[in-house]
Amino acid sequence: MASRRHVLQAVALSSGAAALTSCERTISTLTDVLGGSVPNKLELPTGSEIDPEFHLLSRAAFGAWPGDLERVKQVGRNAWIEEQLHPERIDDSLCDLRARRFESLFYSEGDAYEFKKPVLRNELTRHSMLRAIYSKRQLFEVMVEFWTDHLNIDLEKGDCLYFKPSDDRDVIRKHALGNFYDLIRASSTSPAMLVYLDGRSNRVTKDKPVPNENYARELLELHTLGVHGGYTQADVREAARCLSGWTVNLLKDKQGGARRGPRGVVERFQAPARGKSFFNADFHDDGEKRVLGQTIPAGGGESDLDHLVRIAVRHPSTAKFIAHKLCVRFVGYNPPASIVDRVAGEFTRTDGDIKSMLRLLLNSEEFMAARGTLLKRPFRYMVSSLRALAADTHVEASRNRQGPLLEYLARLGHGLFQYPTPDGYPDEEAPWMGTLLWRWNFSLALASGKLGNDVRVPLTELEKAIDTSGNREEVISRWWSHLMGRVPSPDELKTLASAADAQTQKKTPSIAKAELLGLMLASPAFMRC
Amino acid sequence: MPALTQLLVNAPAAAEARSTHTLICVFLRGGADTMNLVVPYADDHYYNARPTLAVKRPGNSTDSSLKLDDRYALHPTLKPLEAAFKEGRLGMVQGVGTDSTSGSHFECQDQMEHGDSEKGRPAGGGWLGRFLRSRADQSASALSAVAIGTKLPESLRGAPSVSVLEHIDDISIKAPSGDPKAVVGALRAMYGADVTLLGQRGQQTLDLFQRITAMHSSRYAPENGAEYPTNNSFADGLRELARLIKTRVGLEVACIDLPGWDTHFFQNSTAGGFASNAQKLAEGLAAFETDLQKHRSHYTIMVTTEFGRRIYENASLGTDHGRGFCFVALGDKVRGGRILGNWPIGAMDETNPLGPGGVGITLDYRDVFAEVLAGAMGAIDPSKIFPGASLSRVGLMA
Repeated sequence: MASRRHVLQAVALSSGAAALTSCERTISTLTDVLGGSVPNKLELPTGSEIDPEFHLLSRAAFGAWPGDLERVKQVGRNAWIEEQLHPERIDDSLCDLRARRFESLFYSEGDAYEFKKPVLRNELTRHSMLRAIYSKRQLFEVMVEFWTDHLNIDLEKGDCLYFKPSDDRDVIRKHALGNFYDLIRASSTSPAMLVYLDGRSNRVTKDKPVPNENYARELLELHTLGVHGGYTQADVREAARCLSGWTVNLLKDKQGGARRGPRGVVERFQAPARGKSFFNADFHDDGEKRVLGQTIPAGGGESDLDHLVRIAVRHPSTAKFIAHKLCVRFVGYNPPASIVDRVAGEFTRTDGDIKSMLRLLLNSEEFMAARGTLLKRPFRYMVSSLRALAADTHVEASRNRQGPLLEYLARLGHGLFQYPTPDGYPDEEAPWMGTLLWRWNFSLALASGKLGNDVRVPLTELEKAIDTSGNREEVISRWWSHLMGRVPSPDELKTLASAADAQTQKKTPSIAKAELLGLMLASPAFMRC
Repeated sequence: MPALTQLLVNAPAAAEARSTHTLICVFLRGGADTMNLVVPYADDHYYNARPTLAVKRPGNSTDSSLKLDDRYALHPTLKPLEAAFKEGRLGMVQGVGTDSTSGSHFECQDQMEHGDSEKGRPAGGGWLGRFLRSRADQSASALSAVAIGTKLPESLRGAPSVSVLEHIDDISIKAPSGDPKAVVGALRAMYGADVTLLGQRGQQTLDLFQRITAMHSSRYAPENGAEYPTNNSFADGLRELARLIKTRVGLEVACIDLPGWDTHFFQNSTAGGFASNAQKLAEGLAAFETDLQKHRSHYTIMVTTEFGRRIYENASLGTDHGRGFCFVALGDKVRGGRILGNWPIGAMDETNPLGPGGVGITLDYRDVFAEVLAGAMGAIDPSKIFPGASLSRVGLMA
C-alpha cells in the first residue's frame, strides 16, 4: 500500500470520495472566480462563410470556448498554433482542478488491480472528457484523441482495463505531440497493447516454433505502413519473430525460479512485477530475420524490437500513411494529394516529428479551404456544444450508473475506449449517421437544462455576452454566428424565425428560447466542422 | 463549397432501412436449470438425482411433463410453446456452454456476451456489437439495436448505435415544451434543405420518428387475440419489440433479459419461483408468436443462459451451478421439432465426491450463436464476430 500513500501525497488535490460533491461545487465556483467562464462581450463573426479563426478552433480544438475566438484573432492564427504546439507552456490549472483528481490514473499497471473495474472505467473516461472540454491545451487533447484511435485498445478485452490508464498516460499523452517513432516504440511494449493484440502470447519455442502474428500484423497494417503499404505476409511473420518473447505478467504472485541458461548453466531469475512488460529470452526467436528488405542479424535479443519498429517507422509508406490519416482528420475525407504529399515530406524530413507535421498542416491553404466539410464525430459534437455554451460539468458517473453525458456518448455509439477492433473509431461519415435522433435530443436537453444537476449552462451570461437585445432575426443571427462561425443563410434564418414564431405563441419565453437554441445545436450546420 | 459535390457523389440513391429481420436474444440470467425445462424423462438417473425436484414423466395429470419425443418432455408450464415445437419452429440443442470453469455468473455471462473463450484470445466489445459494427454503413437504422431494460448488455457493447429502453415511448424527440411539433417542423426544413448525405439521413430519421410517434398516441392492440401477460416486464418488453418489428424500423438485434434463475434453494418442480419464471418465458414468447403470426419471416428468437445447473438437487432442495445447458431457438428459419446434442446425463460420474458437475459441454456456445446469427441475418464474417474460434456446424438452422 506504500504506492497508494505516495500517490496521495503527490497529488495536490486528491480528495476523499465522501467529499466529492462539495469538492466539485468548489471547483465550479473557483472556475467562475478565476475567470474560467463567459467574457462580458463576444465579438461574433459577421461573414456568410465560416470565419477562418473559428475554423481553426473547430478542428485544432474541440470547438471555441466563449472568448477563444477573440483570443486567436488577437494573437494571430500562426502564433496560436505555435502556442498550442507547446502545451507545457500553457497554464492549465483550471482544467487540472477538475481532471487531476482521479486517483487510479496515477497508478502503475500492476497497482491498478487495487481498483474495482467500474472505478477504473469511470475515472479514465471522465478524465478524457473533462480534458477535452476544459483543457486550454486543446490541440494536445485533439491529438490524444487521434492517437487513441490510431493505437486503439478496447478496455473490455482481457486485462486491458487495468493497463489502459497507464497506456493513456505513458504512451498516448506522453508522445501525442512528440516523435512518431517514440510513440510506436512506447506502444509496442505497453502492457495494454501486449494484452490487446496478444503480443504477450507471442512465444517461439522448440516444440512450437510458430509466433503469434496478431500484433506484428497490426503494427504494419494499422500503426505504420498501412494495409497497402507494400509489406508481404512473410514480412508479418518475420516481424512476429522479432517481437517474440515480449510479454507481460498478469499474475499476482508469480514465482521466480531457476532455469537452465545457455551452455547448461543454471541461473536464478526474479519474477517480474505484476502488470510489467518484460522480455523473456526463452521465448524469443533469436535467429536472423529479414523484414521489409532489411536484415536483422541473429543474436539481437530484445533489441530486435527496436530494429523492427525503426524499420517500419522509416519505411516510405509510413510517412504517406500517417500523413494521409492526419489529413483525413484535419482536412477532409478525400484530402488533396498536394497536402498529403507535403505532410509526408515533413514526416520524412523531420524523422517523424509530429509537431512539424501539424504546423505545416494547420497553416496550409488546403486546411483553410476545407471549412465546414467534416461531420463531427459524436465526442466532438458533444464536447463542442458544451464548450460553446461554457457548460459547467464534472461528467458524473457512479459505480452503477453513468451520468447523462457518458450515457449520451454511449447512445451515440462513441463510448470512449470501447471500440472493439484495433482500427479505432472511423473517420468517415456513414457509420455515425444512424444516431441523429439522439444528437437532437442531446441538443434540446442541453439547451433547456434537462441534463440534470451535472450539466449547468450559464445562459444569462451567454445572452449578455452575445447581446440578445435586438429583434428576433438579429438575436437568431447572433446566436447562430456564435455557434457556427458564420451568419445564417436566408433560408436558415427563415426556418428558425418561423420555428420561433410557432414557439412564442404557445410557450413561456424561457422555453421558447431553449427550443430555439436546441434547434440550432441540432441543425446540420452544427453537426459539421 | 467544392466539398459539397464531393459528398453528393458518395450519397446512395435511396437508403432504405436495410434489414427486415430481427434477431431477438433472450438471456435467462442466473443460470437456468434447463434440465427441468426440457426434461430428460427417459433417464432414471434424472429421477434418482432429483427426488423432490424432478418433473413427472409425461402423463395425464396437470403436473406431468409434455412429451416431445422418446427422450425429452417439456415442463408443464411450457405448454404454450408445445405447438411451435410440433410445427418445427422451435428447436433445442443440449450440452451447450462456455469453457469457463469458474462457475461464476459474472465470468460466464461476460465470456458469453463478449464471445470469448478461456483458451482463445478474447476480442473487444460484445459479440452482437461486433456483428453490428461489421456491417455498419449508411443504411443502418437509428434503431438497429435495442436493449429492453435500463442497462446496456455487454453483448451489445461496441455497436454503432444502441438504444436502451423500456417502452416505445422512450423513442421520442424531447422538446423542452413537451410538444415536438415545432421542433420536428424546423428539423425537417433544415435537413430537407441539406443536399448531402447528412440531410438525407436526417430526413430518414424524422420519418422513422414519425412512424414511431404514430404508435405512441394509440393504445397498442395485439393481433390475432394475442394476450401478453400483465404485470410482467418480460412480456412488456416483448410487446414493445413486436411493435418495432411490425413497424419495420430497421431493428436488427434486440436483447431482453429474464432474470431470477439462480435457484439454489426451494427451486420446486412445478410450483414456486422456478415454475413461475418458466411460465413467464412461455407465455411471453407465445403471445409474441401469436401477435406476429403475419410477420414470422421477420424474426428469430434465441434463448440462452450463462450455464446450466447440476443434476443432483442439494440439501436445501435447490440446484447448484453446473456447466452445460439446453439452448433454444424459435423461428421460421429454425429447423425445429428436434433436440440436438448429446444425452445430458450420459457422463454422470457418481464416484466424484463433489457430485457430478452437471451436463457436460459437447458444443461450444459460439458454434450455436454463430449458426443462429448467420441463419437469421444472412452471411456473416465469423472471423470478425468470433475471432480465433474454429466453428463447426450444429444443424439447428435451415
